[in-house]
Amino acid sequence: MIALHQLNRGLMIALILICALWLAIPFTYAVLWSLVDPAEPWTPDNLLPPVMSFYRWEFAWQNSLLQPALLNSYTLAPTAAVMTLILATPTAFALGRYDFPGKETAKLVALLPLVVPGFVTAIFFTSLLYQLGLAQYRFFAILLAHCILFLPFAIRILTVSFEQVRQDHIDAARDLGAHPFARFQVAYWPALKPGVMATLLIVFIQSIEEFAIAYIVGQPGFVTVPTLLYSSLGQDFNRPNAAVLSLILLVPNVILMLILERFLKSANPALASGKG
Amino acid sequence: MPAISIIDVVMRFDRFTAVDHVSLDVEEGEFVTLLGPSGCGKTTLLKLVSGFLQPTEGRIEIEGRNVTGVPPEARNTAMCFQSYALFPHLTVAENIAFGLRQKRLPAAERRDRLADVTGQVDLGDHLPKLPNQLSGGQQQRVALGRALAVRPYVILFDEPLSNLDAKLREQVRYEIRKITRDFGLTAIYVTHDQSEALAMSDRIFVMNGGRLEQSGAPEEIYRHPRTRFVADFIGSANVLDAEVVGEIGPNLWQVTTALGPLAVSSETGPAARRIPVAWRPETARDGAAAHNTVEAVVRHRSFQGHFTDLIVDAGTTTQRLQLPRSAAREGAQITFSIAPEDIAFLEPDA
Repeated sequence: MIALHQLNRGLMIALILICALWLAIPFTYAVLWSLVDPAEPWTPDNLLPPVMSFYRWEFAWQNSLLQPALLNSYTLAPTAAVMTLILATPTAFALGRYDFPGKETAKLVALLPLVVPGFVTAIFFTSLLYQLGLAQYRFFAILLAHCILFLPFAIRILTVSFEQVRQDHIDAARDLGAHPFARFQVAYWPALKPGVMATLLIVFIQSIEEFAIAYIVGQPGFVTVPTLLYSSLGQDFNRPNAAVLSLILLVPNVILMLILERFLKSANPALASGKG
Repeated sequence: MPAISIIDVVMRFDRFTAVDHVSLDVEEGEFVTLLGPSGCGKTTLLKLVSGFLQPTEGRIEIEGRNVTGVPPEARNTAMCFQSYALFPHLTVAENIAFGLRQKRLPAAERRDRLADVTGQVDLGDHLPKLPNQLSGGQQQRVALGRALAVRPYVILFDEPLSNLDAKLREQVRYEIRKITRDFGLTAIYVTHDQSEALAMSDRIFVMNGGRLEQSGAPEEIYRHPRTRFVADFIGSANVLDAEVVGEIGPNLWQVTTALGPLAVSSETGPAARRIPVAWRPETARDGAAAHNTVEAVVRHRSFQGHFTDLIVDAGTTTQRLQLPRSAAREGAQITFSIAPEDIAFLEPDA
């Protein structure tokens, strides 16, 4: 017993260490690289950059396309999140609240787009956008693409949420004279809230990070943070600039993930009722 | 005028008929029970009265008004759900006041009614708590309070005690009965538990296979079951197939059964030559008597405190009897007797 306990402890510590290294090393490197001063290159014989400054950050802010990219990304992502939520709700409602033949298959089919590699979808989806003549409205084309691309996540999450709405709560509300809106407030919303928040955040994060479609449809005039990042890794490869951009991309996502975690942890109160 | 009239109601789901031509009346202030095994249509019938289902055929009247087609939110009924269906994110007070808010009652009146109901269901200290901080019995009382607060004309119970432990069940049973009596409420109570039905009801409607088998006061249902099903479902009577030999005295009939020849006392006499007869386990008497003395071998014995339950082999059949005091061990030979008045003719099988 004691040996097993110690083994467990050891494995646990190892796991924590690996995770810490896995996350901490790239992150530390990104921070260090973003602080490298252009006058003094960081050579392999140095453990730390010889001179550190915020030059790269200032440069990125003033001279690159960072400002329009941030504006585009942070307009696109919340809009995509809200639109995806709206588009996914009817399907999720049907999958979560009704029984019909082929329901399980429909659920599976709704998830299927996720197995196709992003770039493949992107190439064919953009060709469709061009054929439909929508590609010229770059913002809306990308928005539409993001909504469709991330619908499976939204449908999946919201279906589970709708399944968790308890029919007896709806019935009790009706029985006590509640009209549709009051019924929604008291029976649906408490069960749906975590799912709605999770959907919004996940689509937001996915949209902020999406590269393929934003790049193919957007280039050359329309930039988002990821397309800017990739181009600084590609045609004008510059590791310190890429470090700055990846941090700009990463930090808000980490914060949002932490918020998401809190929402998912604040367990669905509808499930916590006594005998339920 | 009856408080509730169910008139020739049929409820079909696809090809399954859940309620099959049921008609019944409930008088104002009456506490009635729909009793039957699961799938007998009792809960469906309750949902038809509350408005969650609309009948395929027939009509339902509440307070003399035809409510067929009226949705639950517009009916003057309130339901206590089996799961309680308390809103988990609302406090006890908010749960109880929920129906009053929907009715847009002024705040002062809401407060008065809340205080009133809280006193009735004894929840004074728990008002600011959330449902999951309460015990099962307390949650049950919140559900009852929430239904009472809207002052419904009819209160409906869907197996409200099935999630409570046995001891609490008896206590809440008594409370429900007291409260409905105090409020003068008309109540329909659905249960599969015959002892609940017998203890609480003014009248019991026994249902089976979507049909009404028998209705009557608890004593009547218990003492004079009309059908094989009712005799067996309530109090698990011994039912025997009998063949009538003839009348052997005033209101006394001789029959042959698997238990041997028996004398049955009946004012009306048997309705057919081949007819089921029933007797209750607790009517068996230890020892021989003038009529219906039976020799038996004890197969199984279980001591229940105030009586001993015996499964015995007698004649060519197995019967159950309950004797107040019996030292008979398994395998022992015993003699018992049944008074002719304790055996009843049932309706002949269709």
